[in-house]
Amino acid sequence: MAYDQDLSFNYFGPTKIVFGMDASKDVEIEMSSLGGTKAVVVTDQGIIQAGLLDHIVKALGSKCVGVFSDIPQDSGVEVVDAGAAFAKKNGADMVVSVGGGSVIDTAKGMCILLTEGGHLRDFNGVQLLSRPQTPHVVIPTTAGTGSEVTNIAVIMDKEMGQKRLIVENFNIPRLAILDPKMTVKLPKLLTAGTGMDAITHAVEALHGLQHDPIADGIAIHAIRLLVQYLPVCAENGNDLVSRGQVQIAATMAGWAFCNSMVSVVHALAHSIGAVAHVPHGFANGILLADCMEFNLESCPDAYALVAEAFGIREKGMDDLDAAKAAIDALREFTKKIGHPQRLSEFKVKEDDIVKAAELSLGDGAIINNPRLVLDASEVLEIFQKVL
Amino acid sequence: MAKVKALTQEWMDAYKAAILSDPDYKRIAKDWEGSVSLIVNADPSKGVAEPVYLFQDYWHGEVGEFVVCDQAKAESAKFVMTGDYSRWKQVAQKELDATKGLLQGKLKLKGDLPYVVRNIKVVNKVVDILGKFETQWPDDPA
Repeated sequence: MAYDQDLSFNYFGPTKIVFGMDASKDVEIEMSSLGGTKAVVVTDQGIIQAGLLDHIVKALGSKCVGVFSDIPQDSGVEVVDAGAAFAKKNGADMVVSVGGGSVIDTAKGMCILLTEGGHLRDFNGVQLLSRPQTPHVVIPTTAGTGSEVTNIAVIMDKEMGQKRLIVENFNIPRLAILDPKMTVKLPKLLTAGTGMDAITHAVEALHGLQHDPIADGIAIHAIRLLVQYLPVCAENGNDLVSRGQVQIAATMAGWAFCNSMVSVVHALAHSIGAVAHVPHGFANGILLADCMEFNLESCPDAYALVAEAFGIREKGMDDLDAAKAAIDALREFTKKIGHPQRLSEFKVKEDDIVKAAELSLGDGAIINNPRLVLDASEVLEIFQKVL
Repeated sequence: MAKVKALTQEWMDAYKAAILSDPDYKRIAKDWEGSVSLIVNADPSKGVAEPVYLFQDYWHGEVGEFVVCDQAKAESAKFVMTGDYSRWKQVAQKELDATKGLLQGKLKLKGDLPYVVRNIKVVNKVVDILGKFETQWPDDPA
């Protein structure tokens, strides 16, 4: 990977990470160390039914002032408004989120409203905030989103018909507790989907226009860990060592893309998610290899690093050959872990991809793509290949 | 050609004239609708004693009002971009890419991000033009 004289970047990763088996039981100690006295817990019904919440509420004891659990798969601005009103009513000075991306991003929106007041639609822009927001502790129950360490929240806005991208450095979670036991109940299919989300974050961190040497290094190691441990998790969900390594890799990939940003894969995934409700991780996993093919001539050096992380770059291979090998390897990898291959598996139709292609041109991620995308027909071809 | 003092009405007039004389602007901006304000935060140490509010009106390749204004007018624009004086100077001198500056938190944007992204060519064009005329910045040596 070459860097030139114009290299200029900020690296920002302020979240404290606590990792270990049963680390989630330390939530009250960790929360107190951040000065929190009254926490509202944000989660969803699936987490409660899986029995993943009881020990956390118990550990928080009297510091838990309420549980907000009315969160759908693709959370919306109204859900954030309702959650913030609930937290305010209960006097919360801290938010503890327990769940996957939708839960964590809802909690991020709530943190803004708890500090600034108003409704989420009032915060229409990028980097609008000028002060630290309500402290947020994240306990992820999936390993993929990376949202526990990023400045980004993605919230559906039905009025806009699009997912709203909230980018705020002042709203990055203060603490992430990575407890491998919290992901052990994740079914094989979701393990594959969330794992491919993490790989996509790492690959997009490498090929994005804003990539930098620090994020590149983190992304490469995240891919190495995922290549080694994700298939083990997919095969045997009870392997706690692998679960832990995949969790760490997902967080690392989150750090990488928080700084380098994501690009065309996410622009397309956000859009097809908004139009046809394809879960984000699966959309990323299905689109990744074809998006890499789309970008191939623009960044073979980045994809050669992916080949190296996969351990498939042979001696004498130039960057372009290595990049092609990486794309092939990714396709095989998705099959190996049992990941869906086509959007039609999620009932996506031709007119959905036409709408999504148009929508993707307004997604903030697309401007970071190494190959300039100016026309919807360019990305429609990618969608057609994976329909 | 004499340098124009930055952040003054004279500078706004020069900026508007530069946009109007650009051979590509009208075509690139034919779909853009709406006003843009730039807010320059005060930095007394660099000769900017008070915040400066700059209002620019763009409409389908035409250029309307281009004025130094008060806070209320600036905040009424469809898009409001805010940043420290030094950041705006970096943008004008092409040392900072405006999009990158936004994503890194060096500049703030209030307004519809998807609209801006769909019209990123227009944004890049007007930022490019901003650097095309000689400017005397408040902290430049006289």
